[in-house]
Amino acid sequence: MFRKILIANRGEIALRILRACRTLGVEAVVAYSEADRDSLPVQLAEEAICIGPADARRSYLSAPAVISAAIVTGSDAIHPGYGFLSEDETFAEVVRAHDLTFIGPPPEVLDRFASKEGTRRLLGDYGLPTIPGSRGMLRDDEHALEEAERIGYPVLIKPSAGGGGKGMRMVRTPRELESAIKVCRSEAKSAFGDDSLYLEKWLEDNRHVEVQVAVDRYGHGVHLGERDCSVQRRHQKILEEAPTPALSPAARAELCELAVRAVVEAGYENVGTLEFLVDAKGDFYFIEINCRIQVEHPVTEMLTGIDLVATQIRIAAGEPLGFSQADVRPRGHAIEFRINAEDPEHEFRPGAGVVEGYHAPGGPGIRMDSHLYPGYEVPPFYDSLLGKLVAWGPDRETAIARGRAALDELVVDGIVTNVEIHKALLANEMFLEGRMTTNLLDRVGSAAFLAAAART
Amino acid sequence: MPDERTTRDDEARSADHAGIERLADVLVPALVAKLGTLNVGELEVREGEWRIRLRRPAGMGPTYGRRATDRPSRSHPGHEQHGHAPGALEAHRATAGRPATLAAASANGATAAMNGAAGPVLAAVGPGRSGADGAGTPDRAQIATSPAVGVFQPGPKAVGGTRVRAGDRLGVVDMLGVPQEVVAPADAIVVGVIVDAGTAVEYGQELIHLEPAPAEAR
Repeated sequence: MFRKILIANRGEIALRILRACRTLGVEAVVAYSEADRDSLPVQLAEEAICIGPADARRSYLSAPAVISAAIVTGSDAIHPGYGFLSEDETFAEVVRAHDLTFIGPPPEVLDRFASKEGTRRLLGDYGLPTIPGSRGMLRDDEHALEEAERIGYPVLIKPSAGGGGKGMRMVRTPRELESAIKVCRSEAKSAFGDDSLYLEKWLEDNRHVEVQVAVDRYGHGVHLGERDCSVQRRHQKILEEAPTPALSPAARAELCELAVRAVVEAGYENVGTLEFLVDAKGDFYFIEINCRIQVEHPVTEMLTGIDLVATQIRIAAGEPLGFSQADVRPRGHAIEFRINAEDPEHEFRPGAGVVEGYHAPGGPGIRMDSHLYPGYEVPPFYDSLLGKLVAWGPDRETAIARGRAALDELVVDGIVTNVEIHKALLANEMFLEGRMTTNLLDRVGSAAFLAAAART
Repeated sequence: MPDERTTRDDEARSADHAGIERLADVLVPALVAKLGTLNVGELEVREGEWRIRLRRPAGMGPTYGRRATDRPSRSHPGHEQHGHAPGALEAHRATAGRPATLAAASANGATAAMNGAAGPVLAAVGPGRSGADGAGTPDRAQIATSPAVGVFQPGPKAVGGTRVRAGDRLGVVDMLGVPQEVVAPADAIVVGVIVDAGTAVEYGQELIHLEPAPAEAR
């Protein structure tokens, strides 16, 4: 096991990793930018080191700063969290070149799964049904139009280099495609530094279902069940739950078994998630793999009782998984609500400022993963995630009831949050019946969604 | 009102100075007296748009030889564009419209803001640093801080008595083999090196103590 881990991330995930390190008895040091000097993980950690200014390119995204910090603090491993450098195979290689361990898949595995489009082909070869998509990156507009014709409209334009909804647009006609490509290229360039795009077939009224896997260095892999992440706003997840209401238990089992078998045979290692789209007929198609811990991992932890971050660390330290598929027994139902510093009544405009009052809800089945504290000043430089409120119950109805109560109890004063959209979701008929698709919010727009909920 | 910290034209600067003078006549004697009686390194007061911070001079006591692995000090300057005068009266215009708040430090350094305080209230925001002698005029001091996380090597100009110009190279911080320059924040005279050569330092850490060169035009 590692002696000391450098946590190269911020906010709620830095706190999450710190907690896992403490559980494992491993020392931790939190690397932070100047803007995060007063953040909760920095204050709680026994050790913290400032690595750069607020600008992420000179701090959290700076491989030299992160690795230098690991070396001078005597760390032997780096946990990259999610986002930032977490899937950067070059970073992982440089980490290894300095005799440090990158907590995640080894560089050659990251490299193998680096190209989204290449991964579709790779896992398709290992038995996964995959979403039709463009062959290779889009060279130019002409190539894009050709590929879109071949795949069949509507198509989704996606950036090769990142996620989170940036650089993504769904288009229905060649004209829409031409104008959207320019926007997507510039969004992707500014978000990821890389404007490569590819196309995927867009399935109307689709559900987003993903499978959590964990594979150790010795080729032993398990799945930890699936999560439904259909509730999105402009391709950004805001609510996740498990099990998925979209598939029968038999279909869920088939999906998860296919996923883990394919990923083990393709040589994956460490914790990861395979994302699928499910169409109206219940057929599923693989779209991409996320080779890192995900924001919504607590949903799976609540069902299985397995600590996924600790599992990442143990696998990276060379330990065997230590449990088999039979030991993974998901129980009950869990829903995670992403609490963001965004104003649902004004197009989810992001905000910053001082959290003057904060109270986290509690009680049976309630978990709050957040870096907020009263008096905390939310910096304007990073994403708007303030925390994740997770509600577990023995069934979906109870999870919803507990979630509703917890959202009412949650207090975040001083800045605007998206809590109202979650309350509106819990009053929405489609959601309550488990029939939500990925366009639930975008189809009507957030203002209309909130207004409709207010009337019920 | 937009944040004017980064675009300071002459008009803004003289308005700031006038504001500082008004606050200084009323608040500074009280703050300085308070700083002397409390075992803290730093005080911060917020009133309306203004936030005033008093800090003991950094050139004494525990900041010497401070290792990167120490708990971070709340009073780190970490400003890459300009040097600081620690221990001096420092006025920052806070975001407009923010009400006066009382900030209290708890045992582990977390700050909690409570509303409703009428008028300016004194509060400690930094971990205490004992042993510093607050006498003298600390507002004359300037600090060159680290531009990166790595290992500090002072250069030939980082010797007491050396006169330097703003931007002069005083040393480097080796960040993963790439030297990052430590520069003089202003025209000044080097007083001394705060951190030993070969010490691991973090971004923004105080490295070299300087004082303004006399008879320099502002």
